[in-house]
Amino acid sequence: MNIFSEIYGTYFRIAAKLLENESCSEKTVREEIACRGFRDSVLFLPQKIIPGDEDWGLFRRAQDGRLVRITKNAPPHIVTKMQKMWLKAKLSDPRMRLFMDDDTISRLEEKLDGIKPLYHAEHFRVTDRYSDSDDFTDSTYIANFRAVLDAVKHRKIMYIEFTSGHGNRIGGKFVLLKTEYSPKNDKFRAYCFWLKNERIRSSGIINIGRITKIEDTGRVFRTAVSVEDFFSERKCSEPAVIKVTPERNGAERFMMEFASYEKHTVRDLETGVYTVEMWYDLQDETEVLIRLLSFGPVIEILGSERLRSLAAERIARQYDLLFGNNPDDVG
Amino acid sequence: MAGFSELIKNFDKIRDYVRDFFIYGCKVRGDFDRRSTRTYDDEKRRVESWLGDCIRYDDSVRGRSVSISVDSGHIPENPLYNAYYSKSFTDNDIKLHFLIIDVLSDGSRRTIREITDIINGEYGQLFDEQLVRSKLKEYADEGIVIAEKQGKTMYYSLSGDRTEDYIKGYAGLEDAVKFFSETQDFGIIGNSILRSADLNNDLFFIKHNYMIHTLEDVIIPDILNAIDSRAYISLETFSADKASGKEKKPPIIVPMQMLVSVQTGRRYLAAYTPGTRRFSAYRLDFIKKVKKGAVCDDYERIKEQYERNISKCFGVSFGMRRDTGAVTPVKITFYADEEKEPHIIGRLEREKRCAVLEKTGEHLYTLTADVHDPNEVMHWAKTFIGRIVSVDGGCDTARDRFYDDIARMKEMYGGSNEHIQ
Repeated sequence: MNIFSEIYGTYFRIAAKLLENESCSEKTVREEIACRGFRDSVLFLPQKIIPGDEDWGLFRRAQDGRLVRITKNAPPHIVTKMQKMWLKAKLSDPRMRLFMDDDTISRLEEKLDGIKPLYHAEHFRVTDRYSDSDDFTDSTYIANFRAVLDAVKHRKIMYIEFTSGHGNRIGGKFVLLKTEYSPKNDKFRAYCFWLKNERIRSSGIINIGRITKIEDTGRVFRTAVSVEDFFSERKCSEPAVIKVTPERNGAERFMMEFASYEKHTVRDLETGVYTVEMWYDLQDETEVLIRLLSFGPVIEILGSERLRSLAAERIARQYDLLFGNNPDDVG
Repeated sequence: MAGFSELIKNFDKIRDYVRDFFIYGCKVRGDFDRRSTRTYDDEKRRVESWLGDCIRYDDSVRGRSVSISVDSGHIPENPLYNAYYSKSFTDNDIKLHFLIIDVLSDGSRRTIREITDIINGEYGQLFDEQLVRSKLKEYADEGIVIAEKQGKTMYYSLSGDRTEDYIKGYAGLEDAVKFFSETQDFGIIGNSILRSADLNNDLFFIKHNYMIHTLEDVIIPDILNAIDSRAYISLETFSADKASGKEKKPPIIVPMQMLVSVQTGRRYLAAYTPGTRRFSAYRLDFIKKVKKGAVCDDYERIKEQYERNISKCFGVSFGMRRDTGAVTPVKITFYADEEKEPHIIGRLEREKRCAVLEKTGEHLYTLTADVHDPNEVMHWAKTFIGRIVSVDGGCDTARDRFYDDIARMKEMYGGSNEHIQ
């Protein structure tokens, strides 16, 4: 039993899809492959499906040229043991309550009776998660979460009241685009557009844990908006430019820690120094800055001008706190 | 590129390559000198095929470098899942898969002989019974078929569990699977359920998402199995010193727990190493294979010791007391104005982990961390640069390094603005 198995593989899945109908055309074969395959599958897979010298023998060609399956029935989608073990493990996750009520969870537990969970929570220990997680067991939180999810699915215009990160109480009409989860914060947030007179006023992110009231206005936001527009509006105009030195394994540590960011990297062969351009959401600028500073002198923020001056300001303040203005104290 | 296949037999090789493309980005073909040019080209092509738009090319005098550049917080599905969906197979594998399922899809219970006869008779194939037996055994392990013995004869039937029935029969499960398919701890399996039901995650994005972790999931079940069996394991690792090609003797260890950092992008296996009589954390991305050994008779005592030790880890380091000598608690005093900067105090509270925070003066907060490795605390403390009033205790090297780092950073940022772009 291993997830790296052909039974879950792309080729098996495409074959299963094509076997759903008694017959299909070559065109359908190529379309399905283009749609569901890897980028180059159109070069390798059609000849395995379409009868010829290399085919698997799953289809035979009829007189009218169509491809007729050799099987009698559409292949069923069977839940495998590993998938059941995964579901069983997830049933013990408190976040499952956000999606399913207790009765449904009990029914599923019953269905999976006798299945060993793939893992137990105690097998894993998160070492650096923030301690103020959302309370996934709180009934108000669960209700708000479900209202948000429903609004995201149907682009409903919602009236929401919440407390901002700065402690201000905000209320208004919002259209919610997507739900975001952060494993570091253990919190859910919603990407949204704030509406005024049914038009987009600004973009924002609302912490679901900070929502105090959420109501369906009964209206749906029909203007075409994309998540890409939302992100591009919030993205920094200039990337952070970071010089990363090999000292203290800096390159490896930096690249791992910032792996989740969009980056462009160039390496100087003589010195082994990397220069990294990194793009981030402007709202996360402080988070990016403090994480960069935690690398100490192993990295240097070369740009943007703004980010570098923010770093310089903090470092100067820190220097004064430790050494006063007397450089002789250094060391 | 004759002979190229999109499918792979060996997952280890692809893990190794993807890691290099993903982490270092700017490597060119020549950097992969331990492998053949052909292998490099094939692996590169596969990764390009899976990752599409996330691949970035840069030309230099050294050649074209390939990197993976993606804002993983803004993608609905981890593109590296495709690596799992690329397992190679034989023509017989795929043919037997659909034939066996088809023969049993009428709900019948049949013997191996009956199934083989139907496949060969009604479907005009030529499979020997041994091949069918072996596939049925494999599918019984996978839960695709149910094997039941009646007398001396084994009967096989198709599992009645259908993905659609699960998704439709349990309200909320679809959304739950969409969410968990992109989170840690085997999200790939959730994704396989979605794909089976022709669904995709259209609801959730994951911030601080280290998508490369999915490639480590392939070895975790073996580790969990050993933990549950209280067994020793030996680790085969991707050589840390790849270029030299040096092979190291695999360490024999007692696995305890997986340690996950949601900030540094690393995951570890915490384990007791009898050879050194110490607890250590092994990077999961460096582990190639896990081999289960004998049961550890001393497991209970080691586990108790582990629980005591892990409670004094700020991160994953169990310390180097032999090198640093006795470690006293590290005390760091921070400046934060209660009136104007409550968010700083909030940060200290939620990020302090096992340390203790107390107000020690006007606008002063002291954090005391009695931990194995003060260096880990200092790395975190540097996110508060600009507010650290004093550092006491811990070990000399950690304190000295901190003071030295601040002096170097002042030099780096304090002078002219010649570096500003």
